[in-house]
Amino acid sequence: MGIVVTGVGIVSALGVGVERNLERICRGESGISATPTLLRTANRLPVGEIAVTNEQLHSMLSIPQSEHLSRTALLGILAVREAMAGADIDYTRRVGLVSSTSVGGMDLTEHFFESFIEDDSRGRLRDVRMHDCAASTDAIARHCGINGYRTTISTACSSAANAIIAGAKLLKHNIVDYVVVGGSDALSAFTLNGFKSLMILDGEPCRPFDSSRAGLNLGEGAGYLVLQREEEACSYYCHLSGYSNRNDAHHQTASSAEGNGAYQAMAQALQMAGVEPQSVDYINAHGTGTGNNDASESAAFIRLFGDNVPPFSSTKAFTGHTLAAAGGIEAVLSVLSIVRGCRYPNLNFTTPIAEYGLHPVTAFEQAKIDSVLTNSFGFGGNCSSLLFTR
Amino acid sequence: MRCYIDSVVTAQDVATDIKLLIPDAGLRRRMSRVIKSAVTTAVECVGGTEGIDALDAIITATGWGCLADSEKFLRNMIVEHEQLLNPTPFIQSTFNTVGGQIALLRHNHCYNVTYVNRSHSFEDALLDAMMRIADGESCNVLVGAFDEQTPSQHRIMERMGAFRTVADGEGAVFARLTAQRSEQSVAQVTAIDFLCQSLTVEQCRERYATRADATVVYNGYAKYGLFPTSAAYTFAEAVRLVQQGESEVVVYNEYFGAAPAVFRVQCIG
Repeated sequence: MGIVVTGVGIVSALGVGVERNLERICRGESGISATPTLLRTANRLPVGEIAVTNEQLHSMLSIPQSEHLSRTALLGILAVREAMAGADIDYTRRVGLVSSTSVGGMDLTEHFFESFIEDDSRGRLRDVRMHDCAASTDAIARHCGINGYRTTISTACSSAANAIIAGAKLLKHNIVDYVVVGGSDALSAFTLNGFKSLMILDGEPCRPFDSSRAGLNLGEGAGYLVLQREEEACSYYCHLSGYSNRNDAHHQTASSAEGNGAYQAMAQALQMAGVEPQSVDYINAHGTGTGNNDASESAAFIRLFGDNVPPFSSTKAFTGHTLAAAGGIEAVLSVLSIVRGCRYPNLNFTTPIAEYGLHPVTAFEQAKIDSVLTNSFGFGGNCSSLLFTR
Repeated sequence: MRCYIDSVVTAQDVATDIKLLIPDAGLRRRMSRVIKSAVTTAVECVGGTEGIDALDAIITATGWGCLADSEKFLRNMIVEHEQLLNPTPFIQSTFNTVGGQIALLRHNHCYNVTYVNRSHSFEDALLDAMMRIADGESCNVLVGAFDEQTPSQHRIMERMGAFRTVADGEGAVFARLTAQRSEQSVAQVTAIDFLCQSLTVEQCRERYATRADATVVYNGYAKYGLFPTSAAYTFAEAVRLVQQGESEVVVYNEYFGAAPAVFRVQCIG
């Protein structure tokens, strides 16, 4: 049974909506700012922050301020509404949701905790009500007319890719008729300090796949797709024809030098779709800009594609690394790569990594694109790849 | 959909010395209480670390994740004004830490995912396992759930008015599910369903029981305490009942305000 994409929605530091995101990528404008302006932190580090407050997000979505939703939920609702508006959904049928997040309602919890650790009778409970991951899924379902099975996945930075895989399985098993899949993550001081403590944040704009890369820039956003069974869709953007979830099983936070997990995930996704490696027209890489990820992913590319690594790029220098949302945002960009016939530039690249000699795409290119592979890797060794085809 | 159950182990059942289940002393030291408890339960469930080699899917479930580590990092961040923070609690605060650690113990590259869907986390993991088995994608799946209690979580939920009727709780349960029946099989799962409306005990029986003598475990989660994955304990209970001679157990859980979920465990043959 074929699975097709019938709706897409994005919000990222580039802006709200698919058109705004594409327009800025086409012009080569990054969404990364020199320091956070809304996030409460003393860290002066570049981030891909969405310049809209939570209050503004409630207003934009016509949700009463009294609902006091987490930023993760608000960003999710914004992207899901766009994705669902584009798909021709019959709401009398079963509409499911597989959402994903890594921070959940941490943006509110960290406010709560400041008061709570001084006195445990303090801190507003409404600030901690949305702490768990499923709270954002519930809010999205409630505000987007989702009436069917819903679940939440959290596998760190590969979360949304796994949500997409889970959604495809729900369609195949006839548990839902439409499924909204993807991820949302807000910036939080918790994650910014977490990645800083791991010493993998670059103080400059990130430079994926460049020999001088020195870490990632954190971002926030949401990316969702609507999936359907092919025979039931009147029109669609493209097929989700292959996917794979593998584990690198090398280290809790680092990727293996050989890129074992990444290699296996990409190879299995291609195998499932019956697509030969040389037929891949574009790879939207995980490409975080850390020394370890980009080396490991490059090694995996060479293992799978040999001397013919397809045109590839990381779009994280535009959006920042949006953690659980990354796989969703990049899946939407991969779908649009096929629909609009384009490859996205890998910003801030000048010199290839000596050991691999790989050159990513550095300018916005128009081309006929029939198949796009997209990678999402995360802590815990999670490596997932998706293959979209025309 | 159908799968066989080879073993179910709860954190309370673990009898083997932790040094044998997690041989690396450094790793044991770094692990928080819930990670240690969940990983040892998982390893006991597969009969020792070597048992991990045979797994072709590792599916974990948690409502709250690694709370103590999240809280530790958050507290340090606030108290130390974002300076010189130890990354270990941040790394371990990730929801998929337990699944990742199980894979890492034996470098198992198989499918690995974590469901974080409040009181449905365990049932969602079980559904995923059953779909993978039905599709022939996996034939030897580890499914498990865990949640931990912390003083802060207890205090916050107390302030929210929880624990009026049910006490706080925590725990870990892991099960090994297989596509093929074997000598090790102790029971089978033959149905799982997610409902929009509540059912009575009689309605559960009418709709899900296939035998006249079926037992219904109705909202059994309440006796295991108030934590999102307490339903995993009702799964362990159903398997135990079958091992004790029941032919069929229908388990219905409608956790405080959540939509109900149902699964059916049957004897083999």
